[in-house]
Amino acid sequence: MQENTRKGAPRVQYIKNKRRGAAAANVIAFIVILFLAAGAVFPLWWMLRSALMANTDIFLAPPPFFPKDWLWTNFILEPRTFDFWLYLGNTLTIVVPCVVFGTITAVFCGYAFARLRFRGKQFLFALCVGSMLLPTMVTLIPLYIVWSRLGLVDTYWPLILPYLCGGGAFNIFLVRQFMLTIPKELDEVASIDGAGYFRTLVSILVPNILPAIIVVALLIFITTWNDLLQQTIYINSPHKLTMATGLTQFMGSYKNDYSGMFAATCLSFLPGVIVYLIGQRYFVEGIVMTGMKN
Amino acid sequence: MESNKKLRLHAVARREQRAAYLFLIPALLGLSLITYLPLLAAFGIGFTDLRVAHFMPNNPPPLQFVGFKNFIDIFTNPSINILNSIKVTIYFALLAVVGSIVYSMFIAVLLNRKVPGRAFFRAIFYVPHILPAASVMISWYFLLLDNGVINYIISQFGFERVKFLDNIYTVMPTLALISVWTCGNLIVIFLAGLQNVPRVYHEAAEIDGANSWQRFWRITIPCMTPIIFYNLLMSLVINLQVVVPALAITKGGPGGPGQGATRFMSYSMYQIAFINGEFGRAGAVAFVFFVVAAVFAFILFATSKRWIFYQGDEKK
Repeated sequence: MQENTRKGAPRVQYIKNKRRGAAAANVIAFIVILFLAAGAVFPLWWMLRSALMANTDIFLAPPPFFPKDWLWTNFILEPRTFDFWLYLGNTLTIVVPCVVFGTITAVFCGYAFARLRFRGKQFLFALCVGSMLLPTMVTLIPLYIVWSRLGLVDTYWPLILPYLCGGGAFNIFLVRQFMLTIPKELDEVASIDGAGYFRTLVSILVPNILPAIIVVALLIFITTWNDLLQQTIYINSPHKLTMATGLTQFMGSYKNDYSGMFAATCLSFLPGVIVYLIGQRYFVEGIVMTGMKN
Repeated sequence: MESNKKLRLHAVARREQRAAYLFLIPALLGLSLITYLPLLAAFGIGFTDLRVAHFMPNNPPPLQFVGFKNFIDIFTNPSINILNSIKVTIYFALLAVVGSIVYSMFIAVLLNRKVPGRAFFRAIFYVPHILPAASVMISWYFLLLDNGVINYIISQFGFERVKFLDNIYTVMPTLALISVWTCGNLIVIFLAGLQNVPRVYHEAAEIDGANSWQRFWRITIPCMTPIIFYNLLMSLVINLQVVVPALAITKGGPGGPGQGATRFMSYSMYQIAFINGEFGRAGAVAFVFFVVAAVFAFILFATSKRWIFYQGDEKK
């Protein structure tokens, strides 16, 4: 190495070799990624491909990689078996208030933890972080008992109300972390101009932490959308079923309508994927944020 | 003059404090009413014989304090056998956590190189994470059927078809693998962490003649330990709570009552409380669950000082 650095020509040769080595490694990395990505996408493709096939063709051997005829009509499911629009409406009845109010309250609480001084801050914040580690399963039974005492089982309230309390500790934490990266001088200027705490939050901080807010909204969307366990426990009436519970019900009762099953599953993927694609850029940024500042 | 100023400062501080408490009302309600009070209540319920009969409108039986009976029951009653549930939950969590961390780190390291279409691949690996867990399980159930595509591929290579979800030996690794498939969030976090590893360290090591394998273990990994810790913790908390595979597909099986290979703690609790209606017993299970989760979190935190390397931490 040292000889290389002393003389001109061998050093150039060395760097060239080095570059060629790195380029070769990149090509290998790319090929490996291509394989892994194909593996990751394969199950999704297989679901879509099966959803587009006639019931009799799905389990042919050898299995065709592409559908013979692309039967998009499979996606028009009988409401009797899988009432997509009803389930979508029901799920959104839960998800929309959770996302809207959960995000707003998470911003409030995150603001208090990030910017304001008050007695018991350390303690409250520790409680908040501690609750992130607490399995939600542990508190499920007392909560169920309270909700049933209040006569709210088989309504959507037990699924919505908990999210109005800051949308979960994790989201409060995320908002706080993001706010800490915004220079404090910005709100000081606002307060000198006579803005109160609420004004400062809404007009100075919220525009600056918009990515975090979008991430919080998306995370609440995903958790409420996916919460099979609590939806199973609290919702019983067939006309109140959500996407996830409707799908498991369909799975239990119509096991032989394969293409219908696949179509229903693909449809249940759709809203999440759409929401993700809309917020993708912010999503990555916000997730990174939670991991970095710990 | 001096005291006047002090008084004014005090008023400002009080105003700030009042504002803070107002902003925190949702969190205070949430932490008390839906987190910590229910936590205490769960322990309390575990010592009673609370069951579904107590909720009947017509002359419910009086609630009785039964001491440690529920705790003894869940360990000794062969149809509950909480030890089996603890075992399978920990087994699943360890497989899923280790698998997820290794898989996501591997992909993140590859994606950290100069490869074309990085953002595209990142999205591809992330998408399984955002799909509804129930739908994911149902999809894999069909892929893994006897006459499903995965068994077809296996048979083409001349191997026997595998009953992935009906065999007590294969069901757990299979479920863990599905969990690994959905760990895209870890990849995104690792990738961001890798981009923050200072290049100078790598360059210095390269000049000293370290090959890329050595550089990965001696530089990349130590710099990444805080992020590995975060991912380990999050992944552990999520995987210990595993319930959807059992709820959507396996129903706790395969295996007899009390021996179910996928009778996870949370699923066992769900069954005891919401199928059998025995809330007291389920409260005892919840307490055991809490202890298991706390032990794991404690181990992770207690050992973290030894293996986490913080940049800028000068004392060595």
